[in-house]
Amino acid sequence: MIEQALLYLAGAFFGTLGFAVLTRVPRRTLLAAGGIAAVVYMVYWLLSLAGLSEHTAVFFGTTVGSVLGHLCARKMRVINTVFLMSAIVPVVPGLGLYRMMDSLGRGQMAQGGAQGVQAMIIIAMTALGLIVGSLSDRTIHKRGRRKA
Amino acid sequence: MQTETAWSDTEMEALQLAAQLILENGGETFRAEETVRRMGEGFGLNEVESFAVPSGLFISYRTEEGKLETSVRRVHKQGTNLTIVDQTNHISRAVAAGKLGASEAYIRLREVARLQQKRLGWSAVLAAGICAGGFAFLFQGTWLEALTALAVAAATQGACLLMGKVHESWILSDILGGFMTALLPVLAGRWIPGLNTEAVIAGALMPLVPGVAMTNAVQDTFRGDMVSGVSHGVSALLTAFMIAGGALLASAVLRILAGGGI
Repeated sequence: MIEQALLYLAGAFFGTLGFAVLTRVPRRTLLAAGGIAAVVYMVYWLLSLAGLSEHTAVFFGTTVGSVLGHLCARKMRVINTVFLMSAIVPVVPGLGLYRMMDSLGRGQMAQGGAQGVQAMIIIAMTALGLIVGSLSDRTIHKRGRRKA
Repeated sequence: MQTETAWSDTEMEALQLAAQLILENGGETFRAEETVRRMGEGFGLNEVESFAVPSGLFISYRTEEGKLETSVRRVHKQGTNLTIVDQTNHISRAVAAGKLGASEAYIRLREVARLQQKRLGWSAVLAAGICAGGFAFLFQGTWLEALTALAVAAATQGACLLMGKVHESWILSDILGGFMTALLPVLAGRWIPGLNTEAVIAGALMPLVPGVAMTNAVQDTFRGDMVSGVSHGVSALLTAFMIAGGALLASAVLRILAGGGI
């Protein structure tokens, strides 16, 4: 279990690190981008293990990533796109999209369609997670300002 | 009078260049509009307005003499370079804080624009490999699948780079990417016993995912800019379709190789 968690942590971290290099994020943000991705995937994985549906786990994972992304962007004075992108990349339904393509390629339209809809729901949940995270961040940030 | 005109031109040039750099390099339209407003106010202009869509921008402001200045600029996307977007953002904040004037800001923006000519080159091959290898673990892959995904993604990125030198087209690049990431793992599976080709393909597809367009679609829609949100969303969808098209083409080739029909 711990070994698998470490493997997933490393996979999400390095996978997103490579992706961040491809999108040419500022160098000083690379480690934080990978770190956020690792946290997002851990939240998703642990919630899935706890019995939550894939959609719900993706939603909570992305929400946490979005809040962390906004926080890092403010602390490091960097555009938030860098970190928000890192929050969604590890939960992109790559396997689901591939299975959809494969089924459609074999002429299994009903199965491909179902897999496509499943992948689309996950993408919609990542979008929702980003939005809820942004809203939470705004609320927290406004309150913090008022107190200060 | 001549000095005044030149000064005014520099302001417009700086505003245009800043917004253009953001839109060309994968920034959101709300960010381009905010940058224009922030810089314009920093320059002491009145009634600064801007309207940006992913393919162009309009800027207008009123000068001290009360004259309304307007400009339109067509934008052609150059690729994704978030460092350029970030540096432009920094310059706009320095202008807003009164640390930079119009001429200095314009010179700094021209320096940032030069970064566009610097391509990632072969380091993109390594980055794509690391990206694919890492994600292969998340798709139930082992070290074997991760290393194969690394090699497949690196080969795909290399092929896209070489093709870009002959003919630069993101559509062809995505189709080629989808084709190679679907074809190579299956061919590798014939030589490597026990290889989980599904994990390799899913991992190798990850460097091609339009992550920035997806993020921008959400960010722009969230800020109420439906035109740009939909535009970015369609862009992401189109990229996904091109990759899927390439992958389907690979399936057809594999069926022919196996002796079946298309």
